[in-house]
Amino acid sequence: MTEATIMIENKTGIHARPASIFVQTATKFKSKVQIKAKGKTVDAKSILMIMSMGLVKGTEMTILADGPDEAEAVKALTDLVASKFGEE
Amino acid sequence: MAVTIRGKGVISGIAVGKIMLAGQNLDGYLVNYQPGSVDEEKNKAEGALTAVADILSESVERMQKNEDQKEQAAIMEAHRMMVQDPALHDSIMNKIEELKSAPQSVLKAAEEQAAMFESMEDEYFAARAVDLRDVGKRIAKYILGVKEPEIGDEKVILCGQEVEPSVIAGMPTEQIAGVLLGAGSTTAHAVIIAKARAIPTVVGLGEKLEAISDGDHVIVDGEQGEIVINPNEAERASYNEKIQKQKELAAHYAQLKDLEAVTTDGVKVELMANIGSHMDVDNALTYGAQGVGLFRSEFVFMGREDIPNEEDQFKAYKEAIEKCKGGLCVIRTMDIGGDKPLPYLNIPKEENPFLGFRAVRISLKRRDLFLPQLKAILRAGVFGKAAIMVPMVINVAEFKKVKEFIEEAKLELEHEGKAYSNSVQVGIMVETPAAAVMTPVLAKYVDFFSIGTNDLVQYTLACDRGNASISDLYNHFNPAVLTLIQRTITSARENGIWAGMCGEMASDPNAAVLLLGMGISELSMSAPSIPRVKEKIRSISSIKAKEILADVMKMEDGDEIKAYLSKVL
Repeated sequence: MTEATIMIENKTGIHARPASIFVQTATKFKSKVQIKAKGKTVDAKSILMIMSMGLVKGTEMTILADGPDEAEAVKALTDLVASKFGEE
Repeated sequence: MAVTIRGKGVISGIAVGKIMLAGQNLDGYLVNYQPGSVDEEKNKAEGALTAVADILSESVERMQKNEDQKEQAAIMEAHRMMVQDPALHDSIMNKIEELKSAPQSVLKAAEEQAAMFESMEDEYFAARAVDLRDVGKRIAKYILGVKEPEIGDEKVILCGQEVEPSVIAGMPTEQIAGVLLGAGSTTAHAVIIAKARAIPTVVGLGEKLEAISDGDHVIVDGEQGEIVINPNEAERASYNEKIQKQKELAAHYAQLKDLEAVTTDGVKVELMANIGSHMDVDNALTYGAQGVGLFRSEFVFMGREDIPNEEDQFKAYKEAIEKCKGGLCVIRTMDIGGDKPLPYLNIPKEENPFLGFRAVRISLKRRDLFLPQLKAILRAGVFGKAAIMVPMVINVAEFKKVKEFIEEAKLELEHEGKAYSNSVQVGIMVETPAAAVMTPVLAKYVDFFSIGTNDLVQYTLACDRGNASISDLYNHFNPAVLTLIQRTITSARENGIWAGMCGEMASDPNAAVLLLGMGISELSMSAPSIPRVKEKIRSISSIKAKEILADVMKMEDGDEIKAYLSKVL
């Protein structure tokens, strides 16, 4: 199990477009990937679950991965969030 | 032999085209859906999820190539991910165990997710509920075999249990060759729009619609109510013959197009068109309409979530007025009530909407609704000859209030520095018995009367025009109705204003003769009826019409009058 905690800093939070990029990235990996925020843990490969979390700007979330490529998965996803999904 | 099904033909003419299923409401399809075993339903759902995801991927790829469609592509991509979402997938499979039906389960699962989004505080996330419902509907439609409408270049036959008026109103006339409805009476709004555009229409097909699939080629005979599905060569040939005859009749009528509607002794009547959308004017003029006698402004208000603003209305009215090329364009203010509820009107369900809070009764209480409409018409009036017609009036007080609103609208326009016309006529639609009885008084205040017979007959005879079991009682030749009409026309003449008619009665050539005898100056009808009414008027003298009227007014029974007219005319 690998995990990392990061703050969401892009202006609009993880709404439809960032959520789809996030899920697209997560599904590239074989490992089971989850995100934990606001006391809930959900499947990071489900856009609905991610969107249902209401991850607005300033939310802190933890990315957890478990499987053969867990380290790469956590790195790719934290990089993505840190890049603010190419937004401001 | 190709399969032939029959319904009730309500707008005649023959149409050939490709079926476009417009069933936005899935209820009819869900009722008729026959589910298989739980495993079969699960397989169907799996198949649909994969197929819909593929379809969405394709559109995303297509849209991404186009710079203008990048935004849309991103939304479609989000939809695709929702379709392939593991959480939605699991929810659907669980629902199938319980509901036993794949399409129902898909809709339920999507609805639950949507409701969850709706409950979220962030406005953006709450709005995603719409996307989920859309996605659910799309998957359910796939399972039910209802395909997404795609408008190509080919002429289409719109087909559905019900077709929403906004769907027809929003499509250009030349695109729709025919309309087929499962439900539907002859006065359904979809039918009224189709009529204005002379689109062959068959209603009341019910379950027979199942024989039709999206993309089928069909022949629609709007007179016989017959639909031939995927016809063979011989059938095509026999219909081509009918189409030929139809063309000959149309050619005969076309010769009348530029002739005046004038009696043999020189009395002229203006023939105008009833329209439901500014897009109908061009078509109406091809039948020889001299203008628009009734523009039903409801369609500006329908099929939307909020009150149409002044600017949007102004554009629609201006276009209609300009297209009338100097002819009069009579715009009826909003005529909506509890029978066609609009989300932004918030009218509670009424027990008797036809006698309820509707039309001018709403307008007078809803300044936010009425003022923008009046301002839009007054502004559009600058671009031609416009008139405002107020529906459902029962007394002078209502009309006086309308006039006050108009003055207020003008004042506002002046403050805003917007150009408006001071010569817009203001009249009423005489469609309640109260208004007809009071026309000698009303005539002192209004610029014109236009008799709306559909409601006048219905209210005078206490007879629902859509109720088949009393359709024998619904007769515009009933002496009670004729007496009210004559009173209205006489009141107008005595007060030096004009009287016209904009109900279905005006399209009955025999009725036109009686109205001519009474001294009517304008008849407005669905445009395709204009040539035959014109032909009748040109065949008779006003003296003869007066004689016939005198005979008729001595008769005691509507059916007797109808039979007499058929005999002498």
